[in-house]
Formats: sequence, structure tokens, C-alpha cells
Amino acid sequence: MTIEAAAAGPAPDLGFAAPALGAPARHRAPAAADDPEERARLLRQEREVVAKYLGGARWIYPTFALGGFALWVSLFPLAMAGIVPLWLGCLVSTVIATGGYVTSHEAMHSNIARKGEKLRWLNELTGQVSTIPILFPFSMARIMHLQHHYHCNDPQRDPDFPDSAPSAWHALIKTWLNRQPRYAGSIHHYKRILADIDSPASRRAQRDTAMLQLGAMIFFFAMAWSGYALVVAAIWWLPRHIGLSYIRFYLSWAPHHPRDQQGRYLNTRVFKSKLGHVLSMGMQYHIVHHLYPNIPHHRLKAAYYDMRSTLAARGVDVSPL
Amino acid sequence: MIHSGQRGSVRHMQQALKGIFFIMPFLFGIGFIAPVIAELIAVAGIELPANLAPLTVGLLLGSAWGLYATIKGSWL
Repeated sequence: MTIEAAAAGPAPDLGFAAPALGAPARHRAPAAADDPEERARLLRQEREVVAKYLGGARWIYPTFALGGFALWVSLFPLAMAGIVPLWLGCLVSTVIATGGYVTSHEAMHSNIARKGEKLRWLNELTGQVSTIPILFPFSMARIMHLQHHYHCNDPQRDPDFPDSAPSAWHALIKTWLNRQPRYAGSIHHYKRILADIDSPASRRAQRDTAMLQLGAMIFFFAMAWSGYALVVAAIWWLPRHIGLSYIRFYLSWAPHHPRDQQGRYLNTRVFKSKLGHVLSMGMQYHIVHHLYPNIPHHRLKAAYYDMRSTLAARGVDVSPL
Repeated sequence: MIHSGQRGSVRHMQQALKGIFFIMPFLFGIGFIAPVIAELIAVAGIELPANLAPLTVGLLLGSAWGLYATIKGSWL
């Protein structure tokens, strides 16, 4: 424990080990940089804010995840029967596929229920169903996302590092390139990281990914050869690709660009999104999530503004918002 | 406890899966892209030369594209 952390007193339960404090910041304020007492005071302030935003309406995530999944499944027969036009089915499915990552993400951090809690099964179920439309099993999504938190912006160990790109256009193109079968992108980076981890969880994640993708391909082929090729293309294939690109761009590239720093207050940037808060899925305030991942997603914006002056004193560039 | 026979069959299963995923772009070309192209031709009402069936065109294009993606490791 650092001196300032000890001086700040007991930390709230953050759900995972917070990295060591006191790393240099991108625009560090001199007082915070050099004075342990000042850093301890700022940490106390942060924790006071965090305590206000932990918990809350956690039920919204299972509700959206399970409701969204039921709606997504129902789109297939509705589109096959011609009740829902393909363009509308595609639009709705894309929203569910993209938004599903947010609900899954809450489950990855056990923000719906922790191990040992009564509703733990609901946390796991929320995670499991949320990422089926993007063909990314929850076991793989969770292990990779937690590695991202532990090693954020480390070129070798951060699973999201292949999303780095010099500009927004490059980033968008790269989201697609990284999904090519033998491109040296995300898939190969994941494989290498999983081989390094080599645990029962990492082996299970690989097995789940193979099974889900194989099962989906069998479903795709069966549907396509039964006369519903455009249905499965519009309801699953296209929304998956749009969703993955959107997720990679807004949830990975935008909040971490330019990925050249690894410190606690450096690895994420505050930015203003042209698409606003909802369409950028709250990523403008991603720094608060990286500092305190157990603040629920829907409370990050309020927590950011409550914490803004403290972050500024820590040296974070808060000028965009 | 896993004995050597079980480990061997797990390894065989992994090898089989690796093989399937290696040729997956080709399978995808035949299994998915071909019928998608056929349905698009039908929906667009495109008249094909020499009485070609939409599915024949779909299979020709889908298998060629899938084979290209399998060999090159990229759909482009």
C-alpha cells in the first residue's frame, strides 16, 4: 500500500485490485505530483464520491439483457413470416447486438451480483445472453476484459491493444481488418494471451468460443439452405459485424486513444463525442470506469462530474467535458 | 482424473476443430454466401444468361470467394 493510500483510509470494495497510485499523469498538477499528503487528500475525495455511486438500480441490466435477447430471438420467426421487414429487423438486432456488450460488461465486473450473493446466477445469465448476438461467449469476453483492466495499453498483454490506430478512420477500418481469418489482429492477440494465462478459465473460454461459433455456423447454413439466407444475414450476420465495429471503435479505440500511457490516470482519456452520451455508450467518462469499475455504467456520468475537480487536481485533462 | 486415452481423444477433437476452422471461410462461402447471393438475385429480379439458376451463380461466386479467403486469410 502506498503512503497516500494508507493515509486516505480504508478503500471501498472496488471488486478488483486497484493498481498502485501515484503514477505520473498526462497533465499532472505539481501539488499532486510531489506531495503524498495532497495525493492522500485527493484519494479521500475520490473515495467519498465513489461511495455515493456504488450500487443503485442494478436490475436494469438483467432486464435489458433478457428482454433484448427475447426480442432478438423473436425477430427470426417474425422476419421469416414477413411480419417484421428485414430492414427493421436488422436495425433492431444491431441495437441489441451493440447494447448487449454494455449489459454483459456490467456482469463481467459482477456489478449485478457478486460471487456468493443470492442473485449471482442472474449476473452470469445476463452476461451469457448479452453477447450471443455478436458471437462472443461471456467466458471469453470476461477474461479478456479483465486482462484489459489489469494491463491497460500494454502492447503485449492488453487484449484490446490491436484496436490502436492513428485516427478515427484508421480505427474504423482496423475494426474490420482485425476480424479477418488470419490477420495478425485481435484473434491472434487473444490466442497468445490465453496461451500465456493457461488456466482452466482460459481453456474454458477457448472451448466456449469454438462451440458458440461452430453452433452459429451450423445455424447460419441450415437457415440459408432452407430459404432464409437473407433473414439470417439481416438479423444476425450484418448486425454482428456492425455491432463489433461499433463496440471496438467506441468502447476501445475512442476512450484509450492514443494508447501511449499506462498509468492509472493516464490510460484513458476524457473526450467529447459527436454522437453524444447515449450513442457513444457513455464512453466519454470511461476514466471513471477504469478507476472504479464497480460504479454501475448508468452512474458514470454523474460520478465523473462529481469527481471532475479531483481528477483535474490529479492531472487528468478534463477540458473536453 | 484424465487418463492418456481421454487426453488423446481431446487432442484429436482439437485437431479436427482446428481443421474445420481453417477451412471455415470456404464452408462459409458455400453454406452462407451462395444462398445469400441466390436470394439477392431473385429479390432483385436479375435475368441470368444461359438459363443459369441463381443458386448456381451463388455457388460459383461463394465457393470462389470462400476459397480465396481460406488461402489468403482475408476476405479482401
